[in-house]
Amino acid sequence: MIRNFFIYLAVLIVGILFFASMVLFAIPAFQESTLALTGLSSSSSGSGEVGTDKESIEADVNKLQKRLDSFTPTNAYMVVNTSDNHFFLYKGKQLIRDGVCSTGKNEKLVSAERKYEHVFYTPFGVRKVLRKATNPVWKKPDWAFIEDGMPIPSANDPSRWETGTLGAYKMEIGDGYMIHGTIYKRRMGMSVTHGCIRLLDDDLEAVYKAMEVGSKVYIY
Amino acid sequence: MKENSEEDFDSLFVEDKRSGVKYIVIIIVLSVLVLTAIYAYLSVSSVRDRMKLAQVQAEGSPQINSSLLTQLKEKAWLESRLKMAAGDSIGLSIDLEQHRIQLELKGVVLLSSKIRDTSISGFFRKMDGNVYFSTFGTPLTIQQFKSSIAKNPFKVVQAPKDTIAAMAAVDAAMKKDSLKDENVFWTVKLDRGFDLDIQGIDSVAEAQNKYKFGKGFEFERNLKNIASSFQHILRFTKPDYNPEILISIPENEAKAILRALPNKALVTIRI
Repeated sequence: MIRNFFIYLAVLIVGILFFASMVLFAIPAFQESTLALTGLSSSSSGSGEVGTDKESIEADVNKLQKRLDSFTPTNAYMVVNTSDNHFFLYKGKQLIRDGVCSTGKNEKLVSAERKYEHVFYTPFGVRKVLRKATNPVWKKPDWAFIEDGMPIPSANDPSRWETGTLGAYKMEIGDGYMIHGTIYKRRMGMSVTHGCIRLLDDDLEAVYKAMEVGSKVYIY
Repeated sequence: MKENSEEDFDSLFVEDKRSGVKYIVIIIVLSVLVLTAIYAYLSVSSVRDRMKLAQVQAEGSPQINSSLLTQLKEKAWLESRLKMAAGDSIGLSIDLEQHRIQLELKGVVLLSSKIRDTSISGFFRKMDGNVYFSTFGTPLTIQQFKSSIAKNPFKVVQAPKDTIAAMAAVDAAMKKDSLKDENVFWTVKLDRGFDLDIQGIDSVAEAQNKYKFGKGFEFERNLKNIASSFQHILRFTKPDYNPEILISIPENEAKAILRALPNKALVTIRI
């Protein structure tokens, strides 16, 4: 009786494995061979013929390529990879500098007691440098105090103003987001910011000098 | 004591003939063969249906001069990328001819990665000019993402009660291992009935064994395929045939592309 049970079981397992291997490997291969035998050509009944003249197609291709190339800014622009925390500074299609950066930590800070929540992330898309400044002073927002477990001071309390935290330069790119320096150099290359893009001192200086107001920043 | 032999194995059936073991075994084997044959028939029918659909979609378009196919493909590739550039979202361009995959935003290349390995369904190789242009002449749209890692990783953190708790939270965050080893594999469904699979590999040899049967995300996918094939057999319905493009690129780039693409991103392909 037990021996019979094991025979059924063994045959059943072999059968299931056979079926699985057919479904995963043999039948897809069979489908492919069907394609090889049949072919896939259409009987076009549309009017006219496209592509009769090689020169005209090549002229069209050149025109399209130029149009596509025209989208790339000719002045300096920056590309930021938030997944790897790496930035690239280009002029036209030429890479002029790249290096490590830090971007948003993708975190929602919640304080049930204070009925407060704030989301920290670096938004994807294209932005422009709106303002540039040297030796920026940082006005700490409410979340900076909540995150540090401190009481929130009044709007113009002196404790809100900090010098040196943002490094030697800042470039505002809209909605409170900035490209700036940092005093937390050990955390470079990590997703730790509140949405801003932090650069090391030398990189920040190079980017600040190359980018003008209106220069584009592409973030992904 | 007798040793086991083929003779013994046969005698096992002879002895148990009355109990019908032999017949049950034969029934099981035949059932598996019949089920497999039914599924094979349904699968091949679905390929034929898919091909007919592609042909119907291509009908009515102007005749393509096949001797200029390469130039026309180049033109279609650029036109499709220009259409993608007109939008505000990040898109994906895949050039299987030049072995490159790119993230693009408003015509600007944000990331360009060399494709290390590809595998495409024969469906794509069999396309004539008209079917090719009706398929790839305009950008495709992503319908659905599935991935082995979180597409949008986001965590909720409770604000610390005081400065001591805040400092402890900072220390804990610093200790976290940021170099977590992850298998990056993601797959998307495209609006013209195609599947695009991207796997992260750091060497070609890795591609040969990393995502084979029995490993994580792929294993789960295979189990689902087997389960759905049973459903199709029981209902006698044709399974979907979605021609597939499998691309292997470096792991960090596979992850960056997955996270950068919006949910309904456009995709331009040149084969």
